Amino acid sequence: MSLKKGEESCGVEMKEGVENAGFQEDSQAEEASPRRAAEPAVSAESCAAGEESYTQLRPYAGMPKEVLLLYSSQARYRVPREILFWLTVACTLALVALTVTVIVLSPPCLSWWQTTPVYQVYPRSFKDSDGDGVGDLRGIKEKLSHFQYLNIKAVWISPFYKSPMADFGYDVEDFRRVDPLFGTMEDFDNLLASMHSMGLKLIMDYIPNHTSDKHAWFQLSRNRTDYYSDFYIWVNCTEGIPPNNWVSVFGNSTWTYDPIRGQCYFHQFLKEQPDLNFRNPDVIKEMTDIIHFWLKKGVDGFRMDAIKHMLEATHLRNEPQVDPNQPPETVNTEFELYHDYTYTQVGLHDILRGWRVDLDEYSREPGRYRFMVTESYDYEEIEKTMMYYGTDFVKEADFPFNFYLLDLPEGLSGFRAKELVELWMSNMPKGKWPNWVVGNHDKPRMSDRAGEEYVKVINMLLLTLPGTPTTYYGEEIGMENVNVSVTQDPFGKFDPNNSRDPSRTPMQWSNSTNAGFSDSKNGTWLDIGPKYQTVNVEIQQGDPFSVLEQYRALNLIREREVALARGWLCYVWADNNVFAFLRELDGQDRAFLVVLNFGENAEMDLSVFKELPDRLTLHHSTLPNAPSSFPKSKITTSKGQGLLLEYSTSNRFHTDHAAQCYVSEKACYLSALDILYKC
Amino acid sequence: MDELKKKNARNGSIAYSVDSKIKSNEDEVKATVLHKDVGLISGISLIVGTMIGSGIFISPKAVLEGTGAVGPCLCVWAACGLLATLGALCYAELGTMITKSGGEYPYLMEGFGPVLAYLYSWTTIFVLKPSSFAIIALSCAEYASTPFYPGCSPPEIISKCLATAAVFLIVIVNCLSVKLASYVQNFFTAAKLLIIIVIIVSGIVMLAQGNTQNLRDPFTGGETSFGAIGLAFYNGLWAYDGWNQLNFITEELKNPYRNLPLAIIIGIPLVSVCYVLVNVAYFSVMTPTELLQSPAVAVTFGDRVLYPLAWVVPLFVVFSTFGAANGSCFTAGRLTYVAGREGHMVKILSYISLKHYTPSPALIFNGILSIFYIIPADINTLINYFSFAQWVFYGLTALALIVMRFTRKELKRPVKVPIVIPALVVLVSCYLVLAPIIDKPEIEYLYCTVFILGGLIFYYPFVYRKFSWTRRFMKPITMHLQLLMEVVPPQKVE
Repeated sequence: MSLKKGEESCGVEMKEGVENAGFQEDSQAEEASPRRAAEPAVSAESCAAGEESYTQLRPYAGMPKEVLLLYSSQARYRVPREILFWLTVACTLALVALTVTVIVLSPPCLSWWQTTPVYQVYPRSFKDSDGDGVGDLRGIKEKLSHFQYLNIKAVWISPFYKSPMADFGYDVEDFRRVDPLFGTMEDFDNLLASMHSMGLKLIMDYIPNHTSDKHAWFQLSRNRTDYYSDFYIWVNCTEGIPPNNWVSVFGNSTWTYDPIRGQCYFHQFLKEQPDLNFRNPDVIKEMTDIIHFWLKKGVDGFRMDAIKHMLEATHLRNEPQVDPNQPPETVNTEFELYHDYTYTQVGLHDILRGWRVDLDEYSREPGRYRFMVTESYDYEEIEKTMMYYGTDFVKEADFPFNFYLLDLPEGLSGFRAKELVELWMSNMPKGKWPNWVVGNHDKPRMSDRAGEEYVKVINMLLLTLPGTPTTYYGEEIGMENVNVSVTQDPFGKFDPNNSRDPSRTPMQWSNSTNAGFSDSKNGTWLDIGPKYQTVNVEIQQGDPFSVLEQYRALNLIREREVALARGWLCYVWADNNVFAFLRELDGQDRAFLVVLNFGENAEMDLSVFKELPDRLTLHHSTLPNAPSSFPKSKITTSKGQGLLLEYSTSNRFHTDHAAQCYVSEKACYLSALDILYKC
Repeated sequence: MDELKKKNARNGSIAYSVDSKIKSNEDEVKATVLHKDVGLISGISLIVGTMIGSGIFISPKAVLEGTGAVGPCLCVWAACGLLATLGALCYAELGTMITKSGGEYPYLMEGFGPVLAYLYSWTTIFVLKPSSFAIIALSCAEYASTPFYPGCSPPEIISKCLATAAVFLIVIVNCLSVKLASYVQNFFTAAKLLIIIVIIVSGIVMLAQGNTQNLRDPFTGGETSFGAIGLAFYNGLWAYDGWNQLNFITEELKNPYRNLPLAIIIGIPLVSVCYVLVNVAYFSVMTPTELLQSPAVAVTFGDRVLYPLAWVVPLFVVFSTFGAANGSCFTAGRLTYVAGREGHMVKILSYISLKHYTPSPALIFNGILSIFYIIPADINTLINYFSFAQWVFYGLTALALIVMRFTRKELKRPVKVPIVIPALVVLVSCYLVLAPIIDKPEIEYLYCTVFILGGLIFYYPFVYRKFSWTRRFMKPITMHLQLLMEVVPPQKVE
């Protein structure tokens, strides 16, 4: 306690320092320390020496202000202190700057409709919850776990509006009600709520072109009620003599005489489906209100049905015949006319763009982007399809369905696959997002047309190409067309060869009664596929090489690997049997080579490509017993096999093969920060 | 000696200038202690600012999930506010009885002795406080960056960088000046009250326009299960966590006997009213289902109601979280400081900046720990397991209040609450500790307990036995750090 003595004699400044509680303990403990012997001497001396003597006090732990001030301004403390302080400030600024840079350089992120496949549910055939033999909304809700199992996040449900079912829901009687066959509006609300809480998005069918003839609008229009009088396309005509040669998609004239109004009404599909008059602004307004109705309910997107049919030329001229020598009275099918006046008329895109604005209005809420996809079969006029992508200035559909891959089975080969992929990729406007469809409720199932053994490789093609795959229910288990005993499809009744029933049969869930689709004792609305004992969800789960598990595995890889999600697509090889392309991302060493066999057992030599390493590792194979790696000079595939090979290189393939490569939106990977940036 | 003299000669000029500095300091008569800088307004804004973080803006759904219907949901919010007020009243009694900073620490010390107080400080200083600081900073960063990534979540690096920057900034501000820190606190609290008022007012407007369909029949569809309601209470009370913030800084309050209870009695009911009214506003434009499914409820609300100005909501949510982070840092520093002063942490942590009169070593220590918590990929899950510890200490503090009614009768109690209140708080705390463990018993809770008790390993040699070698080891470090940071032990002023 000698220090204390010194302080007492030394005056005020020191006193303050000692009277602190925190220090007390230390100074007591320090008594024993040998170093202390020197200190009292110093302090005593310093007292005697007056002011300047403070400098001779040595700093010690727990020193008070006075002692500290003598030393703390020494350069060896002051400089590091200043440096550390400014370093912290600089660090803060640098971190903020880094963040801002990363944000500015980040490419727009992929929206939900880009990261997941879109799964099409045909509600009549997905799952029947009440045993009436027809699927319903509650049934879909029961089976939501199926989507989770497959890691599918977007579900498009074909129409379930109130409908007399002349065209199975595509003839709508009331756009604001659910058909009792499928359930109630409450069922729908519950379905939507459970889907959202599972992170699933619901896409609805929206059918602007026509309504049912039972729709209140049509009833009011045919008796010329003021507001509704022009809601449909009415033309003076005499019964039995249509005003022109236009023919309906389902065959025969597009005109039907209505005795109540005494005029003909126009219908591009069945006569039970009169076309709305989109030249009437009130129609656009009413139809837009319906969009708002469902958006308010929280629906995540719309598939715009048959939009190329929305407008027709007002002059009503005859359409030119494909075969001018055909007697005009025998012309009664869609493909016998050039539809210059009834398809894709000017003004169509303006209506769609208007609706896009409505969707955008509801997309502002975080995580609630509302999606639009259009349905339009334009066949060889692919540029008409591409119009739906909109332009750089005006947004339209997020994508129009790409139906060209439906032609894959016609001359199935590696060449064919490449040709059809290339057809879309080369025609798609720059920066847009591709998509791939191999089946829907209007087309026969791919598994029959291409052959059962190619089911897995076709699914793999969809899941490894850039863009959004669309999966029609049953494709994930390889369901086949079914020769139904009773035709239900009105189109099939007109022409049995074009019946759509075979691809609409109930989903095969298990090998129990009605394939697990329904508890009905009186059969199902369409026959169950004969192979349901072997082709069903339950039996395929757990078998790693089943169609279902293949789909699931590839979909998980697709989600996980940035190169597959948003990397380059480069064609590497196409022959009679094999189509091979690679997926790579700038800045990422890991790249993938996809080898798909659409023919017979084959061998491929990729030695010419110096960018590829000599050996490639197997990441995934659709068939068992594939070797764990392949030399690039000899990559073998058997019939219908798909290989996902992985390799590591810093050489980018696309730089030297620009003509063979596509990317929607270029992004580069920076491994150091694990981020993507614009480049 | 010769050498020493030479040094003197060299340092002569410096010594002189230092001398003059000391003299000028004397004129101001500012002792190196933490000054009583916090008034009533700052006190309230500290309570309000820390309690209202981002929860009410982002996920007021946990309560709704448990109750199922609008009516019970609002009731639970109000009831939680009442419970929080009761808890805070206990703290008001304790805070005016033992006017020491450090939250529960001095109360546990007085009530149960140093071991429990040590374990409290050990858990709180090393895990609870820095991790909550880190989490608040991370969510602040996330809210700040999400608007730039519509449709997906921002890359991790961004939230981590921004969170670290926020921690740096807040620590710098808090080290530079207590006044500045409380100005920051006041500003951000005002901002968050502003946005809450905007939400409430627009909610009232929506209701006046007839959007009452969600509130018309508030008690239908409610869940009746006791467990679900309990869970709703559990989640609701979390939104009120932070009522004890002011007790962490009792020593810095102006006139604590008046301001501490007053701030608590104004602050917590204010928060309760805000919470209930904000919920009412949400229900004016969202159905319960929509509310449950919105990823960020206030942002959805903003988009629907304030459209052209919808961007203010995310901006103010960022403000709100930043303010909460600042409050969290402010009080965390005080606990470390007090624990250091009592010898339960290294001494240097209790030192005070000579120039700025802030406990900068404690603040910096807390900041560094927080940054360690920011770095790993997913700290949230681990920290959630520690949340039961928080309630253990709340319960023990209320128990300490009861115990001291008998053991420390002589202490003056300017505020005296009926003894049922602390008893109730003890019961509620027991429930909140046990409910999640019984609901989902997991081995991680055991790890947490082991970690908390593991503090004793350090207690025995360093605090209880005070081994001399530890002092020898610490002394030069302390000395150099003192000189580097210009910090000294706090002075006692009469």
